[in-house]
Amino acid sequence: METMQNPPDAQAKSVPPVNLTTAFVKKALSFGFLDILRWIGYLLLVTIFLTPFVWTVLASFRQESEILANLFPLSLHTFLPRAGEWTLEHYQTVMGLNEVGARESLRFDRNLLNSFIVSASVVVASLIFNTLAAFFFSRLPFPKKNILLLYVIATLFVPVQVTLVPLFIVVKQLGFGNTYWAMILPWFASPFVIFALIQFFREIPHELDEAAIIDGASYVQILRHVIMPLSIPGLITMSLLEFQFIWNLFLWPLIAVSDKNIQVIQVTLALTQTQRTTYWGRRFAGASLASVPVIILFMLLQKYYTEGVAQTGVKG
Amino acid sequence: MQGTAPIQTQSLSLRRIFNWRRRNYLIAFLFVLPALINFTLFRYYPIVSAARSSLYNYSLLGGYQDFVGFDHYIRMASDPSFWNSLKVTFVYVLIKIPIQVALALGLAIFLSKQSIGSSIVRSAIMAPMVTSIIVVSIIWALMLHSEQGLFQSILVSLGFQKVRFISSETRALPTLSVMMIWKDVGFSMIILMAGLKGIPRVYYEAATVDGATPWQRFWNVTMPLLRPVLMFVLVTQVAFSFQMFDPVFQMTKGGPLESTNIIVYYIYQQGFLFQDMGYASALSMVTLIILLIISYGQMRLLNTDY
Amino acid sequence: MKNKYPYTFFTILLVILAMVITACGGSSTEEPAAESGSESEAAKQTDESAAGETASSEAEAITLKFVICCAPEDAVTYNEIFDAWKAAEPQYANVNIELDVTPFAELFPKIETSVAAGADFDLFQADGPDIKHYSYNKVIISLDEYFTEEEKAEFLPQTIEEGSYLGTFMSPAIMQSCSLMFYNSDMTDAAGVQPPQELDGWTIQEAWDAWQATQTDENGDGTPEVWGIRWGQGTWTGDYEQGIIRRSAGEKDSPTYNGMGPDGITFVGYLDTPEAIAGYQAYRDMHFGEKAVTPIESIPDIFFTKQSAFVVHPDNAIGTINRLYPDGDFNYGVTGIPYMEGGTELCHTGSWHYGVSPNSEHKDVAAALVKFITGHDGARIWYDNVRQLPARFDLLNELPEYNEYPQQLFAQGLQEIGQPRIQTPCYTEYQQLHAVLLQDLQSAEELDVAARVHQAASDIESACAKYKGWNE
Repeated sequence: METMQNPPDAQAKSVPPVNLTTAFVKKALSFGFLDILRWIGYLLLVTIFLTPFVWTVLASFRQESEILANLFPLSLHTFLPRAGEWTLEHYQTVMGLNEVGARESLRFDRNLLNSFIVSASVVVASLIFNTLAAFFFSRLPFPKKNILLLYVIATLFVPVQVTLVPLFIVVKQLGFGNTYWAMILPWFASPFVIFALIQFFREIPHELDEAAIIDGASYVQILRHVIMPLSIPGLITMSLLEFQFIWNLFLWPLIAVSDKNIQVIQVTLALTQTQRTTYWGRRFAGASLASVPVIILFMLLQKYYTEGVAQTGVKG
Repeated sequence: MQGTAPIQTQSLSLRRIFNWRRRNYLIAFLFVLPALINFTLFRYYPIVSAARSSLYNYSLLGGYQDFVGFDHYIRMASDPSFWNSLKVTFVYVLIKIPIQVALALGLAIFLSKQSIGSSIVRSAIMAPMVTSIIVVSIIWALMLHSEQGLFQSILVSLGFQKVRFISSETRALPTLSVMMIWKDVGFSMIILMAGLKGIPRVYYEAATVDGATPWQRFWNVTMPLLRPVLMFVLVTQVAFSFQMFDPVFQMTKGGPLESTNIIVYYIYQQGFLFQDMGYASALSMVTLIILLIISYGQMRLLNTDY
Repeated sequence: MKNKYPYTFFTILLVILAMVITACGGSSTEEPAAESGSESEAAKQTDESAAGETASSEAEAITLKFVICCAPEDAVTYNEIFDAWKAAEPQYANVNIELDVTPFAELFPKIETSVAAGADFDLFQADGPDIKHYSYNKVIISLDEYFTEEEKAEFLPQTIEEGSYLGTFMSPAIMQSCSLMFYNSDMTDAAGVQPPQELDGWTIQEAWDAWQATQTDENGDGTPEVWGIRWGQGTWTGDYEQGIIRRSAGEKDSPTYNGMGPDGITFVGYLDTPEAIAGYQAYRDMHFGEKAVTPIESIPDIFFTKQSAFVVHPDNAIGTINRLYPDGDFNYGVTGIPYMEGGTELCHTGSWHYGVSPNSEHKDVAAALVKFITGHDGARIWYDNVRQLPARFDLLNELPEYNEYPQQLFAQGLQEIGQPRIQTPCYTEYQQLHAVLLQDLQSAEELDVAARVHQAASDIESACAKYKGWNE
């Protein structure tokens, strides 16, 4: 414990512990000062985390030649295009809606949809199979479950770069090469998600399912009516993490899929820079397309996972 | 098994128990079966296959050549690039993880209050997390560019000189670390928030009644109760950080002077670029073992809480 | 004891299930394989019948998988060529071509991974010097039987050399290349610099004065608005352009000039001669220090956006300028490629080649396609889109622009100073390790150039040792 003390000590200084008790202190002390401090903190954080996206999105509405022309000196127009500079051209191009885009058969919208299809499928499959597995590990009787658990967790540590090729061979032999399945099947069971769900399930009191067993409930019924309702926050959080894990994949779809109609946006985006030239407009528009819809989606869903997790601690 | 007289009945009941158990085992096993099949086919088969490759001279184009036994493993000992890549990887993990977890904890506490402000900030922090790493790398590469990056513009407007970030052997790795903290801090924050919310208010109230200062409450209530969650975040983040690849692949190619040549990129370089998949396989076996040992240590710490 | 039993039981169950799944999957791959097998027979039949009577071209559809490089715009050009192919050779009207467009940086990994998993593509695009690597590894078939001697003679000798392996013709090219130095003449005029508009140009030391003279930093912030030079196209760092400097430091046919030993695997004493090191030092000095004339982190399209006065580039720069400045408000000229004092002027040749996979079910069709792409008509379409030196005499002779400055300089350069990049199956490894060296040279703050170059030479040599005896 003593050795542990130092790093958090340092961090605690940079992040004032005052915040922990703002709720209490706020009522007691003056309303204004701490609130102002907190809002400064908010503003700073929003700036740090959102500026790159704001810049990218606004730049994607610029004429190609203007994109990098307004950087120096730093001013409002470094970010905000001037009145006459706005254009939707790059979006039309990357979605194949104008002549250039149609000629080059660019379909970033299609690729974005593919990314969603793949990620959503993995999330759904992952919810089912990882929940079953985590339920097994945390609840069901089986001899020496620890060995099996080790078997599962160990895969968390495999560097994917070398298993990529054997994995590709397996997927091809199974007949899934160059299909959506190639991007979905290998990932539906995740050691990370199983590991995390076990932690979540452990928090649910065993008395509950013991009671259910006495009532004659089957394993499936226990899982559905006891465990799952109580771990919805955990499941939502895991879906989010699983989603972003799949959303991040680049090398795997690049290698496993060659049909551009099912290719994901991360790969097509890489085609906007060739060894000869860089298509700034397409790159910015593509980066915006690949990030903004997901960000908005998760902002809308935010209350489900951040407020949802609050219920986790029924036990503690 | 020692009784002699009631053999008949005992063995009967034993068998019944055994059958009952077996049936339950079977049903239980079905729950984990899909995941096990997935791991066997898509993780273990490739690992075994890579383990086999590590004993051969093997390249993707040329296929399997001569059997070389443990030569690749022996070669590693005297390969300065391998030792360098290990060093780089550890430095990266040691810079990134403490800062990221400390920040995530700070943020989780700072933002735990439900208000419009904190929910907007939470969303903002999650934005990089749900953006793909390739897009993040592309955006950051544009922002960090030594001549025409947004950061340079900000630096110049603040009166500084332009700074080379990713093309400098001293700044490239810290820069990547900052970028990855920026991307991943939300990930840790969410889990820690869940953990924080799991701490019953009564403990704080009791501590407050006892006259504990906020500082004491943090150390005596929050930290001990958060420890399992904190360890979980540590274990998983270490595993993920050890495998950071795409930013190096996209932005620095391991350079300059191998300063960002983390182990998984070195594996990629050897296997895919230098045409030595046999050696790359040996490298990844060793990496796997190192990671397992580290994680085993971490898990021991984690398990003491249960 | 009780505990052990279910374990073995379930392990066996698991293994059986895994096998069943693999078997099911296996059978599903066999089916299409069987189908395509019968397709190829059908294709052969149609080939024969097509040869006999052209009327009966109503055949089963054949699909060719074609891995190409770079960007969607390349696919546009290819599709034009495919249309022309089917129009010119109607017996192939039933061929459907699936393009797999892969970024340049990922092209090689993509191909090698496909090969490792059984290569399901029929043909692929490859950088010229990699042909020897592919040939050594037998992932490309000989095209000797598809080209007559006269047909081969239409290709420039460098193309034949780059596309051959140990005397066997493996792969023709769609174009050729030679990089010379372009300059923005508004900038050179403003600086009072007059580059010679002929192939016999400046040494690097002479050029340096011009680079410095044209470089401008008007706001005095230490970073020029206009840089002196960008050595090489795009933002890419590799052997093609950046590898020229050290070779140019040697006299013709000296070890430095040849770049590697005749065995194709010796680099110590070739890559790291004192002259070559001086060349690498010059490359570093372009980026670093008092005399820096080019940005350390390269700026995309730096020359075309008027942020550099000079660029070393193949002649497709002319096509790019015409496309970006259709009104002609970009004044430029061309001069010879600078070389190290006391050395030899040279440019690297070579460009895109095409290979047919030994796994292809339709080798004849694929070879016919390669032949058309690199033939007169296909290469003409490519030229009209990309505007770069053709690899064929017939095409070169019918393009009048190659008789006039500036393009004439490129045709002349190719013939007089054009040297293929080092020809060895180890090129692939060399290219990667050399790119790492170049990256270090141009961006590391602390560097002992000579030591780093020596180290690179021996690194490359040990990576290449496995090819010992390849050309004996």
